[in-house]
Amino acid sequence: MGMRAPLKNVRGLGSAKEGTTHWWHQKVTAIALIPLFLIAIGCFISLVGADYTHVRYVLGQPFISIVMLLLIVAMFYHLKLGMQVVIEDYIHTESTKVFLLLLNSFFCAIVGLSAALAILKLALGG
Amino acid sequence: MVELTLPKNSRVGTGKTHPKTDGATNTKTFNVYRWSPDDNQNPAIDTYYVDLDTCGPMILDGLIKIKNEIDPTLTFRRSCREGICGSCAMNINGTNTLACTTGMDEVDGDINIYPLPHQPVVKDLVPDLTNFYAQYASIKPWLQAETPSPSKERLQSKEDREKLDGLYECILCACCSTSCPSYWWNSDRFLGPAILLQAYRWIIDSRDEHTGERLDNLEDPFRLYRCHTIMNCANTCPKGLNPAKAIAEIKKMMVERR
Amino acid sequence: MSEAYPITEHKYDVVVVGAGGAGLRATMGMAAAGLKTAAITKVFPTRSHTVAAQGGISASLGNMGEDNWQWHMYDTVKGSDWLGDQDAIEYMCREAPASVLELEQFGMPFSRTEEGKIYQRAFGGMTTEFGEGPAAQRTCAAADRTGHAMLHTLYSQSLKHDTEFFIEYFALDLIMDKDGSCKGVLCLCLEDGTLHLFRAHMVVLATGGYGRTFFSCTSAHTCTGDGGGMVLRAGLPLQDMEFIQFHPTGIYGAGCLITEGVRGEGGFLVNGEGERFMERYAPHAKDLASRDVVSRSMTIEIREGRGVGPRKDHIYLHLDHLDPAMIDERLPGISESARIFAGVDVHKEPIPVLPTVHYNMGGIPTNYHAEVVDLKDGNPDSVVPGLMAVGEAACVSVHGANRLGSNSLIDLVVFGRAAALRAKEVVTPGAAHAPLPADACDEALGRLDKFRNANGSSSTATIRDNMQRVMQDDCAVFRTSKTLAEGVEKINKVWEQMPDIKTTDRSLVWNSDLVETLELDNLIRQAVVSMTAAENRKESRGAHAHEDFPDRDDKNWMKHTLTYHSDKDGVKLDYRPVHDYTLTEEIDYIKPKARVY
Repeated sequence: MGMRAPLKNVRGLGSAKEGTTHWWHQKVTAIALIPLFLIAIGCFISLVGADYTHVRYVLGQPFISIVMLLLIVAMFYHLKLGMQVVIEDYIHTESTKVFLLLLNSFFCAIVGLSAALAILKLALGG
Repeated sequence: MVELTLPKNSRVGTGKTHPKTDGATNTKTFNVYRWSPDDNQNPAIDTYYVDLDTCGPMILDGLIKIKNEIDPTLTFRRSCREGICGSCAMNINGTNTLACTTGMDEVDGDINIYPLPHQPVVKDLVPDLTNFYAQYASIKPWLQAETPSPSKERLQSKEDREKLDGLYECILCACCSTSCPSYWWNSDRFLGPAILLQAYRWIIDSRDEHTGERLDNLEDPFRLYRCHTIMNCANTCPKGLNPAKAIAEIKKMMVERR
Repeated sequence: MSEAYPITEHKYDVVVVGAGGAGLRATMGMAAAGLKTAAITKVFPTRSHTVAAQGGISASLGNMGEDNWQWHMYDTVKGSDWLGDQDAIEYMCREAPASVLELEQFGMPFSRTEEGKIYQRAFGGMTTEFGEGPAAQRTCAAADRTGHAMLHTLYSQSLKHDTEFFIEYFALDLIMDKDGSCKGVLCLCLEDGTLHLFRAHMVVLATGGYGRTFFSCTSAHTCTGDGGGMVLRAGLPLQDMEFIQFHPTGIYGAGCLITEGVRGEGGFLVNGEGERFMERYAPHAKDLASRDVVSRSMTIEIREGRGVGPRKDHIYLHLDHLDPAMIDERLPGISESARIFAGVDVHKEPIPVLPTVHYNMGGIPTNYHAEVVDLKDGNPDSVVPGLMAVGEAACVSVHGANRLGSNSLIDLVVFGRAAALRAKEVVTPGAAHAPLPADACDEALGRLDKFRNANGSSSTATIRDNMQRVMQDDCAVFRTSKTLAEGVEKINKVWEQMPDIKTTDRSLVWNSDLVETLELDNLIRQAVVSMTAAENRKESRGAHAHEDFPDRDDKNWMKHTLTYHSDKDGVKLDYRPVHDYTLTEEIDYIKPKARVY
């Protein structure tokens, strides 16, 4: 490294010509999460003390299940984007970084999909 | 993993305490970071007592007095002593600023001075800013235009010229970049606030015709988007500029042009 | 000697020492002309002192009313008190508009008029109709940060041209051959203490002024006239060193500059009795008289007990009557300086100011091609081969006995460019370098070694302080035979302390103790020749105000002083005639007359 021209180091592999989508999606999901969370929290508070069947019934209502599905998609996508930045910021060992990035993607996809499936099952009466 | 603690050979020890000069009653204590590559030792904090009755009011005056009268080996950069050249940027009581425009009376108690954070140290308070300067060169900080230049000046409206205010005044002191945690962790790829502010100065210049290429060059998860709006840059800038705002404007343009 | 200090040799077509406005403009032009160019600088380019210039750069663009270069030339000649060389002045004023437009094309952020043109403001000594008309608005400005805008623009241009920079390299000495031509320059790399010999067919000195010979000056700590010191050691002369400009408005106490542009925008000076005293001294130009006139008037006011403050030892500069919006737009930088260094809110209170050492009209004598000249075998314009000088380091002489405000920035770019044009003509790209004798660097190394291991009894700071106080006391705004005679004696005493100097830092890495000592060695030589030249000139002209000889004496003193200096024989004086001709037929020689503002 010490023998390379500083400009060589700075230019590196060049501009990735992307990044705006990532940043923009993170902002959009962040904004979307505000009303979604408020509705979801309201819903959960109203369900405190309710029995199992009633909870299943409420979560199966079209409006609530749509909110829940949107929440899950936005949340896990936002989580994936955010965790990716955190990993890229702090983890500088290339192999560890790639491993954690993959883990992050898989985790968000699997857990997100599972949660979505659960809501779908309730909504579609399965 | 980023290094959250100092490596062993960078841990700062206690250095020498230089005695007060004879007859000095009204003194200010300076604790100054010292390190030289010559003696193969860890950095240390030396303590000096500056006689306020025979010294100018600024922290740079204090440092010069120490160098002149107590310890000529103390090493730091300085030039204009009026806040326009950007040489004497250093970390004073936890804030990156210019020693020449910071008054000793602005600091309660002891004055603790370190070099700009997270840059390689050449000696004492002199950091190696090679990477920072190379990053500046990488954004092509000159006017790029293909329209043949008129025989007189390129015209620019007062309103368009006003857009450069708050940007062209940057003195490249590196206070903002070296105060940015994101720059600490990723200075190899993140351009940092100062350079992004400079980039925006050319993006917004009504005479420059390479706006698109300039944005292309910044469109990168690291070069631009490592800015997490921490705002240390705007807080620390000794010239009162707001690099965070310039970065936000670049991000806005990136979305606008999609 | 060269065994103890290994030297890395570099070969270039041209080497520019100093990366301020003039150095960068020269470097850029030379690189663009296809010459292999190295730029050596002891500070990162944007830290050079050009960055501190505030008010503007003069050029007869005529954006704010009728103007032409002949009027600019007349004002410059009158400002110089007829000591300026009129061929060079013609060259500068004629080339000025193109040079400013070039800066604009490079992207310099000039302030603008309503029509979108470069904004120009009034400045001291700038008039129309050959001094008969009203004040000219000739000074092109980027708010009050023109030097900063210009230096950053020029640095970015040199990046564009892929200039090879050697940053934080300190130039030690010129390497001259037996025939007196320059063959290169020996430098010390601050980062690791290694020595580098830069061979070049042309060495350009753009090292700035030696303002730090004085205790209180607007100059940066790095303004130590390193080029002047090197030239004196090379046996070459410096010219007109007695002419030292005091800027009327340095902040009282701190010495930081407050631009003349404040007065150009309508500010004025007031004495302890609340009087706008400049109306008495310069009924026509008032506060916008030339700097030497204003500084003398202020000094007289203070001397006669009409100063302000508890000790009546300074003057007030008012701009609190001006429109706050205008101040914020055009004078934001000095508002900040006044707040930080004087604790003053310029919207409400006046700024306390005092005449402060600001600029050296004298320097390395050159012709208008920037080639260094010497008096040799009776020829006063004999060119020194391989050596050029530009900017404040040089004495072309366009400023003569007194520089007009905003003429320095134009001097930098016009003659920086002229140097590049000339180098293109006289240097063949890639030409071979003749070998140097083995002992070519010995003298320079001896000097370095002496200071590096110096273990006398006076520290660099002590001797420097002694020098600065002597210059401050005895080479002031007003001079008398008595103060100058004492001054010569005292400054020679300080010079005699030099062999007894003590340095403490023995490291080779970023040894700023050593660098300050080498700088002091450059400063003290120039302090000695300045004081000697001042004592020698028995007249008053421009910035040299001699109370025992209050009048200008064109019969005996219409000539440039040359000063040589050697360690053994001290100062030797000689003279060069002032060029009493112009460059072209388009303007006649402007004959001397009484200088009234």
